[in-house]
Amino acid sequence: MSETKHSKLSVKEIEAEELSFIDGELLEIPPAENDTLVGEASTKISLKTKNQKQKTGNQTSYLQYVFLPLIFLTVALLGGLRLSAEDGAFLFLKPALICLIFASVLLVLFFRAGLLKLEGWFSETFSTVQNIANAAILFALFFASTQIFNSLLPERGLPFWVFAFCFLWTLWNNLFVEFQGKRLLQSLGSVFGLAFVSKYLILAYLTAPTGTSWWRGLLENPAQEAFTWLLDLPRFSAGTGYIQFFAVIFYLLGLFLLPSATTKVVR
Amino acid sequence: MKEKHIQITGMFLTTLYAVFVVWLYSVEPKSLDEVPTKAQTTIENVTTKTQVAIGTYEVDRAKFNEGLTAFRQDNFIVARDNFEKADTEKRDPKTQFYIAYSFYRQGFGKVSNDDALFKLGLEQMSRVSALDKNFKSDDANLQIKTPVELKNEFEEGLKVTASDFNPLKIFRERK
Repeated sequence: MSETKHSKLSVKEIEAEELSFIDGELLEIPPAENDTLVGEASTKISLKTKNQKQKTGNQTSYLQYVFLPLIFLTVALLGGLRLSAEDGAFLFLKPALICLIFASVLLVLFFRAGLLKLEGWFSETFSTVQNIANAAILFALFFASTQIFNSLLPERGLPFWVFAFCFLWTLWNNLFVEFQGKRLLQSLGSVFGLAFVSKYLILAYLTAPTGTSWWRGLLENPAQEAFTWLLDLPRFSAGTGYIQFFAVIFYLLGLFLLPSATTKVVR
Repeated sequence: MKEKHIQITGMFLTTLYAVFVVWLYSVEPKSLDEVPTKAQTTIENVTTKTQVAIGTYEVDRAKFNEGLTAFRQDNFIVARDNFEKADTEKRDPKTQFYIAYSFYRQGFGKVSNDDALFKLGLEQMSRVSALDKNFKSDDANLQIKTPVELKNEFEEGLKVTASDFNPLKIFRERK
């Protein structure tokens, strides 16, 4: 054991002796040139970082101030659009008053859950342009929220009241619950998904087709004719479901992309 | 691009798109082919409303003259259509008076008058009076010159009196 220890120490000593000799020519760089090289390198790095930051900032601004309102307004456009069952003509349905009320409650819910922070959207420290631009985004969000309820609520009859009651119940309950932004998004996604399936799959399936006489319809599809008559179901073309599917998807995408606060402009 | 410029561009595009969506819901085109037609109609309406607002509104003379020609040929349906097209904003008492007069002439009957047309004429008279209380027609071919006289003709025509059963009534002339 002692022999091995001794041999290890001797090897270390030899290595240390060898390292004390540095073999090579010394390069002399004038101090001024050296400073310039270092300065240039640091300037390049800082410029690169600044450009990258500006690019990222621009991307975020484009998303917030251009794409988000366009997404929400597209939802507003599609939300009330239906296709007639007879000839596939456009039918633009204006939102019922209850849709406006639901949209207002939903906006309050967004602020309560922290999905939107009021001080991050409107502030005295922001420029007037930024405050107005932020208001435009929130206006588009409200418009889209109104139309998404217009899309998901049945147009008339008993189903309208049942769906409206369910939405009211959910929104009212959520108003008094401690929510996180992510959870609220998940909850909204599931509620809207369920409403979409109920209206555009189940109720649409129960609706009798058009183009046949009442008697023929009663003989061929008695259940559908009965449900259509009892529930006062409107008849729309199948394309309506496809349009509304994209309206819901765009709305949820818009909510996902919506920042809780906008960045302050550095001037 | 500066952030401020992006915000201004965003606001402009948002406003433009929002106006387009509201416009679509107000005009309700049935198909994509109908969109240009509706746009043209909207532009015409906006132009007329602007003219009214700034006080440069004028009746379409060509349409008015076409209406007058049809009126004199007793083609009252065409006449009314042209008069309505000439004065889309219903702001010219002269044109509105001719429309009311066309209801009188079309509804006049030697045995009995057309009550439906006379009622429409009476409604039209209130519009003329509202536009110009002292209106007097300068058309020599018209026997009735003022809204009050024409209104009286409509009211008398709508009443059922003993004189309605007078057989000599068939000899009365249309004014």
